[in-house]
Amino acid sequence: MKNLNLYLILILSFPFTPPAQADPTSEIRIGSKKFTESVILGEAITQHLQVNGFKASHMDQLGGTRLLWKALVQDELDIYPDYTGTILYEILQDEEISSNADIQVALAQHGVSITDPLGFNNTYALGVTPQTAEQFSLKAISDLRQHPELRFGFTNEFMDREDGWPSLRDHYQLPQTAVRGLDHDLAYKGLQAGSIDLIDLYSTDAEIAYYQLSILQDDESYFPDYRAVILYRTDLLDRVPSIQTYLNQLAGVISETEMIDMNSQVKLEGRSEAEVAQSFLSLKFNTLSEIVVSSRWDRIISTTSEHLFLVCLSLGAAILVAIPLGIWGARNATLGQVILSIVGIIQTIPSLALLVFMIPLLGIGGPPALVALFLYSLLPIVRNTLSGLTGISIDVQESARALGLPAPARLKMIELPLAARSILAGIKTSAVINVGTATLGALIGAGGYGQPILTGIRLDDTSLILEGAIPAAILALLVQWSFDLAERTFLSPGLQMKQESTS
Amino acid sequence: MIRLKDISKSFDGNEVIHDLSLEVPQGKTVVLIGPSGCGKSTLLRLMVGLLWPDRGNISLFRENLTKNNVEILRQQVGFVLQDGGLFPHMTALQNIRLMADFLNHDHDATNNRITELHELTHIPKELLKRYPSELSGGQVQRIALMRALMLDPQILFLDEPLGALDPLNRVSLQDEMKTIFNQLGKTVVLVTHDMGEAASLADLIVIMKDGYLLQYDTLSTLSTDPADPFVTEFINAQRKPWQQLEDQIK
Ligand SMILES: Nc1ncnc2c1ncn2[C@@H]1O[C@H](COP(=O)(O)OP(=O)(O)O)[C@@H](O)[C@H]1O
Ligand SMILES: [Mg+2]
Repeated sequence: MKNLNLYLILILSFPFTPPAQADPTSEIRIGSKKFTESVILGEAITQHLQVNGFKASHMDQLGGTRLLWKALVQDELDIYPDYTGTILYEILQDEEISSNADIQVALAQHGVSITDPLGFNNTYALGVTPQTAEQFSLKAISDLRQHPELRFGFTNEFMDREDGWPSLRDHYQLPQTAVRGLDHDLAYKGLQAGSIDLIDLYSTDAEIAYYQLSILQDDESYFPDYRAVILYRTDLLDRVPSIQTYLNQLAGVISETEMIDMNSQVKLEGRSEAEVAQSFLSLKFNTLSEIVVSSRWDRIISTTSEHLFLVCLSLGAAILVAIPLGIWGARNATLGQVILSIVGIIQTIPSLALLVFMIPLLGIGGPPALVALFLYSLLPIVRNTLSGLTGISIDVQESARALGLPAPARLKMIELPLAARSILAGIKTSAVINVGTATLGALIGAGGYGQPILTGIRLDDTSLILEGAIPAAILALLVQWSFDLAERTFLSPGLQMKQESTS
Repeated sequence: MIRLKDISKSFDGNEVIHDLSLEVPQGKTVVLIGPSGCGKSTLLRLMVGLLWPDRGNISLFRENLTKNNVEILRQQVGFVLQDGGLFPHMTALQNIRLMADFLNHDHDATNNRITELHELTHIPKELLKRYPSELSGGQVQRIALMRALMLDPQILFLDEPLGALDPLNRVSLQDEMKTIFNQLGKTVVLVTHDMGEAASLADLIVIMKDGYLLQYDTLSTLSTDPADPFVTEFINAQRKPWQQLEDQIK
């Protein structure tokens, strides 16, 4: 059904973009969220600008609304597509807004402008399988009141946002309690598998047609408009005044049917977003934009180099910081506890939250991903350095002091070599975890193996998921092997024999 | 050679050495003996500056022991622990050479010194390539002794050096140590809880109980003129098996 070769035509995403400074000649930076429609729109905007002579680049499938908005406001991005409902209820949720004109005023205060709507309305909707619809005679959302036993599976975003589940429940007085948050793409699978009965979806989702889902009518008109618009930094017009014309050309040209069609070309027919956007633009504007086609091997090479860059740099920095922290903590039990708690707490910060938090400081791309990975790598190394040092027998410690070795020499000649096995094991743990965690780099535009995995999950394309997952697993194994080898090579035979005799 | 003046030491508010004074003359072997927990090891550690007294002062070589000179003074004494305290990541030879190399001593002189120590401790040369985990308890203690003697220190501190050995090894190493101490004329402070060991090695014996020094004398004075009933009790308790044996032989 799917032609895998067509996936080979994918726009290669930019490796590490340093936090860009305002520079009139620099590229126009377009972002998109990590769902297909947003990627297609981002692609369409990028190609439309490129074909009209602008230098434009697309950072596709970034983390989520918060991340994109922050990046736009912090001048890390110039343009990204979003929806009026999202702007109203999520981005500007703290501000009182009653009309579209008010939206523009409120956005202007953040230095952001919007175009007129692109055409289609991609609002939230609730969908069930035709069987469920028939079994419970569900036609409209209000019908759900009679069936409290139904299990809902909502996207995490829908669970949390102000215009999402909590106020939908209040609006319709819905009784259901079995409500789970899960990934949008997994929700369709859950629905098919029968583990959930109802999901939230977007009214332009390709899957509606594919799975023949029944959409429940919003009979008490709860869901607001979600019209696609283009958000851009107002100061972009100072840099490139002519751009407004071209952005506005995209307003009003995409109908709901056209959007569903483009979504299903990508998700169900396996064409790339770049291709789909290219065909659409050529149909509407009679232009032919150029797209970069890269082979699977090209992609693997570039994701590998991005991934290695992330892992090596963050791990190297973590080693340089964590070992001294561990040494310091081993001097004093209270201090050691404090240090361990702090690096332990860092470990519990959700990665996306950490990434969003760092945008104002480090922008998007490589730097925030490196810092996040660095922070996540500290704990195992600090913990093992500390326990390796405090685990040295009192006899040995006293002997070293009684010989008259000064403290720095004791550390270098006795304590660190004796703790080496434990420290090395800590670094190995960190490295293996780091290889896995670095896939999150894709959420903030740092590339790596997360890129194909993210795209693969989004497009339900196993081969693309494997394209990231297999090299990541191989890399993890290589890391493990090389540390085992290092242990055999560098660790004193005296310590290795000790382990053999005790094991 | 070693002087302790009115030393007190507590751990967590619990005083374990009470107002103790002691002088160890040059070239003599002094054995600290007493029941387990009476403060022998604590006293020994105070003498090397591994612990610091709450009150009183300690001098080595007529020099007051302070945090400033402790490292220099430690390099002039040897210290041997019950388990040897060898560094497990170094071979026996590396353990022995460590301080000489650290202090950049002349290589040939160091090698000559090791040969001397060989003859003294009867350690086969091949054993020096081994790591501590490949050595027997007696071998470990001999290596620890070699390490302690490497820089030819004037004073030797030993904390139950034979405590972890089986009886056979114990007796042979005890005899060897006696010979070595006599031969070298070092000042030795040795901790044990075994009266036989004390009797065989000591010029002078310190009997301790609950952090107090009960008596400091030669073995014969201890038995003929005990300062406290406990001294007699302690000596007799430990001599019983020997006496029984002697009686049987007679
Ligand atoms: N580091 C320490 N912290 C707390 N108490 C200690 C410490 N070292 C020794 N003690 C206590 O001091 C007393 C004397 O101990 P120690 O000198 O080791 O006795 P000995 O060597 O005669 O068996 C014991 O009651 C012991 O519990
Ligand atoms: Mg002791």
